[in-house]
Amino acid sequence: MLGNSETQQLKRNYLFAILICVVITMLATPLRQVLDLANIVMLFLLVVFLVALKLGRGPAIMSAILAVALFDVFFVPPRFSFTVNNAQYLITFSVMLAVGLATAHLTAKLSKHAAAAVDREQNTRRLYELARDLAGASSYDEISKALSLFVAWSGYTAKLHLLDANGEFPSLSQDIAFTTIAHMAIKQGALVNTSQLSDEGSLTLVLPLKSPHKVRGVLEANLEKYVGDVDKEMLEAVVNLVAIAVERLHYVALTQQTQLDATSERLRSSVLSSLSHDLRTPLTGLVGMADALALTTAQQSDSVHNAAIAIRDQALAMSHLLSNLLEMARLHSGKVALRKDWRLFEDVIGSAIKLLKPTLAQHPVTVTLAPDFPLVEFDDVLLERVLCNLLENAAKYSPLESPIEIREYISGECACIDVSDHGAGFPAGKTESLFHMFERGESESSTLGVGLGLAICSAIIEAHCGTIKAVNQAQGGACVTLCLPLGKPPIVNPEIEEA
Amino acid sequence: MNSVGNVILIEDDQQIRRFVKSALEGEGWKVFEAESGERGLIEARSRKPDLLVVDLGLPDMDGVEVVTEFRKWTTIPVLILSARIEEQEKILALDAGADDYLTKPFGVGELLARVRAVTRRRLQNTMASPKMCFADVEVDFIRRSVTRNGVAIHLTPIEYRLLSVLLSNIGKIMSHRRLMHEVWGPNNTESAHYLRIYMSHLRQKLEHDPAQPAHLLTETGIGYRFEL
Repeated sequence: MLGNSETQQLKRNYLFAILICVVITMLATPLRQVLDLANIVMLFLLVVFLVALKLGRGPAIMSAILAVALFDVFFVPPRFSFTVNNAQYLITFSVMLAVGLATAHLTAKLSKHAAAAVDREQNTRRLYELARDLAGASSYDEISKALSLFVAWSGYTAKLHLLDANGEFPSLSQDIAFTTIAHMAIKQGALVNTSQLSDEGSLTLVLPLKSPHKVRGVLEANLEKYVGDVDKEMLEAVVNLVAIAVERLHYVALTQQTQLDATSERLRSSVLSSLSHDLRTPLTGLVGMADALALTTAQQSDSVHNAAIAIRDQALAMSHLLSNLLEMARLHSGKVALRKDWRLFEDVIGSAIKLLKPTLAQHPVTVTLAPDFPLVEFDDVLLERVLCNLLENAAKYSPLESPIEIREYISGECACIDVSDHGAGFPAGKTESLFHMFERGESESSTLGVGLGLAICSAIIEAHCGTIKAVNQAQGGACVTLCLPLGKPPIVNPEIEEA
Repeated sequence: MNSVGNVILIEDDQQIRRFVKSALEGEGWKVFEAESGERGLIEARSRKPDLLVVDLGLPDMDGVEVVTEFRKWTTIPVLILSARIEEQEKILALDAGADDYLTKPFGVGELLARVRAVTRRRLQNTMASPKMCFADVEVDFIRRSVTRNGVAIHLTPIEYRLLSVLLSNIGKIMSHRRLMHEVWGPNNTESAHYLRIYMSHLRQKLEHDPAQPAHLLTETGIGYRFEL
């Protein structure tokens, strides 16, 4: 199918070719006496060559045939007739025709190749420009801009649709049909031609943006017509360039975010640790000096001795409170870096009891360990903190000499620890809210504390993807149960003993 | 009072220095104070100390560096003072050669108990005994046998090795890495959970109440310690 203007152009070319043949005949006629017929043949061949070069294959073939006819009629005796006296002119005609046709064919092919080379060169240059623009792009908008600049040349339009973190197309929220096609293109990892799917007039191609790690979106190209493999290859080259640019931007953003996170994490931990150091140092001095005073006044007046002991205990309580506050700040300041490893509950249970020996002096603690309990993945320092807080609460809120029980067991997919006492239990209806910050059983009781203990426990257990809950036991007393997911503990090869 | 020895106290806070000094002097120590790591190392070289007490958070250099520097030329006991949240620092200091640590805040009783423990250990280490008893357990290093109330207890080779490493470092905190290294050798490929499992086996076999051990103690986040 050729356009109207192209048909016109072709007609003109044919007319022009005829005209040139006629003109050369008229010019050569007066020279008939002077020139050999062989040289006149040369003139005609020159014309055929020039026509092939400038006007294309069709006019060239026509002029080759016309040249033979004109030569026969106007130059070969008898003139003005197609009859030929000498039979050897037939050879001249056939050679002339063969050379003319071959020239027409070769020249036309050559100029077509030249045109294609120019085209290719242009495409390459434009692809290079696109690559250059994409390499400099620092935002998705700039990528879109570079892309639209490129397609403006090619007579089609293109749009980028990128996937967000959830694997959805935010730019296509309205167009459900197209979203389906886009997902199909991503799934197939290849070009989808929508004209195969619907019979709308225009042609839309959807190409996935494939980068080495992930498909990050699709390119939607709207073409007036589908011209063939050349365009398809071109589009695929464009898609590859865009995919690389998108991938680069993605990692640039990721790096920036990571740097930002690391910086803020460093800042946070340095603030917390200097706060901890600056507040703890005077408390250490206070505890130490009060303790020294208590020791030296042991034999002296009761009031001074008791005051020294009271100062020491209050300072210790303050230090404990400070630890809880700092711990809470650390747990709530964002990501908690858990130092998880496969460990045994019994290690932290034992060390927590030992750490709280003075607090637990008035409470017998019984521990029930399950035989062959599996390894569980947790941060031992933090879990010890949880157990300390629970034991401390148990000691604080139950009568002296009443026992405290710790039990480890497996329940479903979880490894659990129960810490139970024989005190008054939790206030009815408050077992949930107790795990909130600054929540206490009785809001202004004389028992020391600000209600951070259980909140810290719950923050730590949540960071471990576990659960913690409080219940009042039927036989009286409070029971806190913490459960951690069992996961897949590493295999421990038994030791092979030599006999 | 006769001096029991020289102690170098490196701590930047004056109040802490004051009470640690008076507590140690009460025990008969001669105390030399230093408020920076640099100063402390100079004191240590000139005073022929028998004990070093170092705060981990010093203004001029890291306490771990002080320990490393100090360990280049002497084996005398080193006691670390540190805050609770510095678990990694403690491990580094212990691996660098520190003998024990005290968590701030601490009382005089605690301080003196630790000082006695680290200095006593030094004496014990110099006279290796072929037998050792704790609670109702007796370990015979020559026959490589362990008995409890006179009844022989079977220990696997690894359990025995672990126990003897702990026993030869009485009272000293052994980091996980150090224990792994000594029990499984320098090229060990096992992970620390093996250590935990074998420790649990030892407690089952030797402790009166394995859940509340009296001798084979866990130092959470750091390692284990044997205490008489």
